[in-house]
Amino acid sequence: MLTQKAWSPYLAGIVIGLLQIPAFLIIETALGASSSYVTIGGVIASWFDPAILSIGYVARHVAINAKNWWQVALVGGVAIGAFLSMKMSGARRHAISPIWQRALGSASPAKRYAVAFFGGFIMLFGARIADGCTSGHGLSGMAQLAVGSTVAVAAMFVGGIATATLVLRRI
Amino acid sequence: MSVTLAIAVGLLMGVVFGFALEKSRVFEPGIIVGQMQMRNFIMLKVFLAAVATGAVVLAVLNGFGYVKLAPKAALYGADIVGGLILGAGISLAGACPGTTLAQIGAGYRDALFTLVGGLFGAVAYSYAEPALSKTFLGQGGGKLIFSDLAGIPYWVGALILAAVIVVILVALESWRPWRPELGNDSDGDIASAPAASTKTIHIVPAE
Repeated sequence: MLTQKAWSPYLAGIVIGLLQIPAFLIIETALGASSSYVTIGGVIASWFDPAILSIGYVARHVAINAKNWWQVALVGGVAIGAFLSMKMSGARRHAISPIWQRALGSASPAKRYAVAFFGGFIMLFGARIADGCTSGHGLSGMAQLAVGSTVAVAAMFVGGIATATLVLRRI
Repeated sequence: MSVTLAIAVGLLMGVVFGFALEKSRVFEPGIIVGQMQMRNFIMLKVFLAAVATGAVVLAVLNGFGYVKLAPKAALYGADIVGGLILGAGISLAGACPGTTLAQIGAGYRDALFTLVGGLFGAVAYSYAEPALSKTFLGQGGGKLIFSDLAGIPYWVGALILAAVIVVILVALESWRPWRPELGNDSDGDIASAPAASTKTIHIVPAE
């Protein structure tokens, strides 16, 4: 089981959904990922510009409390878990997924790195405007029947489908 | 709760989360971009299965009074504008904020650029937040949930959502089975020529 390369998407989805149990019972919050970028980004930015900590939004996110640093640990753990799973199954990855050559119409790693940086930038800028991402609004918000989260998820798919169809090439 | 304990719980939960993301292959750019181009439905399946499971879990925990719900406030302008930008970013990054870390763990080098770009994006938003929150992006209602609108208890609404999702998933699976969508290298790359695979030869019946 642990050495398989792929599980059924339903099994994996159930495992992910069950993580709401410790999130709500122990941490008293829902699964989420994008706030941790504000926590880590804010800490790093404060080394160069200590005045950033006077912004209330940043101060709230870098505060040493269970909720902020639980989420930082969660996303760090995601990298460790994916690494372990990959090692156990022996699914070795290329440095860049082969689909990018078709999607970008170029085999240049520099072009892919630039697109990845830009994509990451707007991904988090958008997630912070919306106050959540695929995890916070998607997994947690929809499970809680939140109206705003459902609107946000619909917008994510509209933006994602438009970009993947109009900007990227057929993979 | 102590911060140290919260970090330990977070790490442990993250390892399980990352393990499941890797096993589901939903972190693969081929699966995420494939979903956004409507040629691969593994992402939607993982997502909906996780939402349905979360809904059942919360129906029980909240229904019996063990936990309080923590929905985000409905800020429609911010939800729409932010969601559209976030979605565009997901397609260009071939990742979402959580799966970026799974890509790094699995060895995708471009995901490091996604991560650094994401940190810059979060810091840029932080500087803009005091100004943006005064615009229409800061306007909105309270913590609105559908079951309150319908006048039913949350647990009933959550179980209805889970049941609807199960029906959708059964239909989706019979329309698009998940195994062929993994691709030869379990990366969602289903367009590349199958390398020396004799199993996929189509046998054309004689006329």
